[in-house]
Amino acid sequence: MDIKAANRDGNTILSVNGRIDTLTAPELEQAINTEIVRGNKKILLVFSGVTYISSGGLRVLLATAKKLKNPGDKFGISSLQPEVLKVFRLAGFTSIFSIYPSEGEALATW
Amino acid sequence: MPPGDGQPDSVQWEPVPGAPGAAFYPLIRKIDAVSSNSYLITTPDVIILIDPGGLPEQAAHLFRVIGMCQARDARPLFIFLTHAHTDHFVGIQADPACAHPDTLVFAVEQSGAYAIESGDTTVTQSDLMQAPFFPMKVQLHLFSQARVYPSEDMSFPNGARITITRDQTGAAGLPRERIVFGLGQDLTVYHTPGHSPDSICLQMGELLFTGDLLFAASPGIAGVTGWSQETLIHSLGAIEMLIANGGIRLVCPGHGRAIPAADALRMLPAVRADARNLDNIAEMEPDRAARTAAFAGDCMEQVNELFTIMSGRLQYVSFILDELGESGIADQSSTLIRGDMIDELLEAFHNFAEEQRKGLDVPIHRVLKAGQVIAKLERTFNRDELSAIIDPSLVRRAGRLLSDYTTMLRGFTPPSECSDCDLNTLTESVVSGLSVPPFTDDEVLSSADDDAAFSRILLARIGTPPLLADVEVTVLSEADPVQVCIDREHFTDLLTYLLEDLVGTGADRIEIGARRTGRNAIVRVAGNGPSPGALRERRTWRFLEGLAERTGGSLTFHELEGKHQFEFTAPAV
Repeated sequence: MDIKAANRDGNTILSVNGRIDTLTAPELEQAINTEIVRGNKKILLVFSGVTYISSGGLRVLLATAKKLKNPGDKFGISSLQPEVLKVFRLAGFTSIFSIYPSEGEALATW
Repeated sequence: MPPGDGQPDSVQWEPVPGAPGAAFYPLIRKIDAVSSNSYLITTPDVIILIDPGGLPEQAAHLFRVIGMCQARDARPLFIFLTHAHTDHFVGIQADPACAHPDTLVFAVEQSGAYAIESGDTTVTQSDLMQAPFFPMKVQLHLFSQARVYPSEDMSFPNGARITITRDQTGAAGLPRERIVFGLGQDLTVYHTPGHSPDSICLQMGELLFTGDLLFAASPGIAGVTGWSQETLIHSLGAIEMLIANGGIRLVCPGHGRAIPAADALRMLPAVRADARNLDNIAEMEPDRAARTAAFAGDCMEQVNELFTIMSGRLQYVSFILDELGESGIADQSSTLIRGDMIDELLEAFHNFAEEQRKGLDVPIHRVLKAGQVIAKLERTFNRDELSAIIDPSLVRRAGRLLSDYTTMLRGFTPPSECSDCDLNTLTESVVSGLSVPPFTDDEVLSSADDDAAFSRILLARIGTPPLLADVEVTVLSEADPVQVCIDREHFTDLLTYLLEDLVGTGADRIEIGARRTGRNAIVRVAGNGPSPGALRERRTWRFLEGLAERTGGSLTFHELEGKHQFEFTAPAV
């Protein structure tokens, strides 16, 4: 798994590529936590390169949602592959996170 | 069954209980289908190696240890095979010792000895395991029909001299050969066919080496070429009696850790009961292994998705309850699935399958690996408790996938129970079940005074959001019944998988309906949105086609006017 971080207009964009599984979920968690510790609390995960997410990966996302629920915080996920979107929908996660078709559409609403 | 890494789990010399002067060195491997455990025994007269295993590095390690023993006290070397399957012996063929057969004595039951000497790739499972071997001379044929009875003195080019005596155990009636190597401890060999015709157990002091006898009724192992239900049941009973009579402290199997005699006595009746239920199983030959391996891949893809969704759904429930300040109830739900363990199991299979794809793809290895993962998954989730919280359809389908695979692995066809039904009614019932929450608002309100009932209803309401709740569904029913003869449960599963696929990938308008066309009945499920996952993932499509077949029909896909359309077709009655 590969994670690239960028900042656009005060929003932190983490572009993730690869499988989010038992081995790689902690890397994602660490990348997110690093941003939160730095005070970056508007985080968008771009999942266009994510082909698989395990329950461990889902757990990281829920933990992030809990951390970023204060006024002014933002947490969203964009550009989901259909396989991952399906898991999100059927697990009920689409009602917890803001899901966006693309990075641009996400940032336009932030 | 994690892949063996070729490294011994345990390597240390121990005294053989009940056999003064004898020591043994168990080389216990992590269980896999590539190589067996090995056991070295030394007495003042002889060095005995039981099952050198299937890996050259394992054999090389054993020969290094044997070399050290010989350096201290040179003695003849005997290699006994509990049976002539390649995972128990082929590793030795890469060792230089094999080039000098006069330096050691191979001892194998007569039919196994013939298979090794003639290069038989079926009896030895060389074909199935894709483990080639070259024919070898077997100097000592155990239970040979040609032997002069009651006892015979034999000598071998490596200087070994033995006396071999044959008789039968008492009430159990097991053929037995006692091998005397000198003044030290002797070795007793029992003929215990069933896993294979040449299977033997060996006893030195209070140790009993049982080869694959204890797993001979396990899925994927039962039904291998040469497997015999009748002789297996007899052998299991006889070995149980032998252990029950006393004098055995530890049972040393061909795979896995040693088992105290008392535990083996508890296991054996269960294994025998399993064996009794295996009437008419199909033989596990290379073609069936390839078919089962393909099903394993397709099945595991779905298992992976269903378990991830179930685990995610529980996390979702826990999250919402936390938000509602009901963390007590949240804790109760989050323990129902061991998400971390399930992730590890599923990833172990994924990584194993990827490694197989990159290297030598041996279908039987994938078959057994999937069997092991599925058996562990079966033990990790509580269907009843889960069904009370999350969509019972998810739990039911996950359970059915696991049991269908186990059934297939056992050599049977997953059950299909066709009966006459009206497709209109059945389709409407599935759609209705996926459109309403498990408890009505009235039921939620009336439970407010009962804490336990309220918790139960709250969990189910959160954990089972109706799949079609936010979808515009149009059911197009014909006025007349559309009668077919299909398996209703499989049809329900199939329709649910198709609807989940469409909704999950973004469809918010779905049309569904059954109609009769000539001699056929067709159920059409059409949705808008991006193309469904079933079309992108070959294994998912193959799985759905197989499910449609088990339902009693066939599945096709069409793209029409921007809609994705599945059609299930079955003969009308």
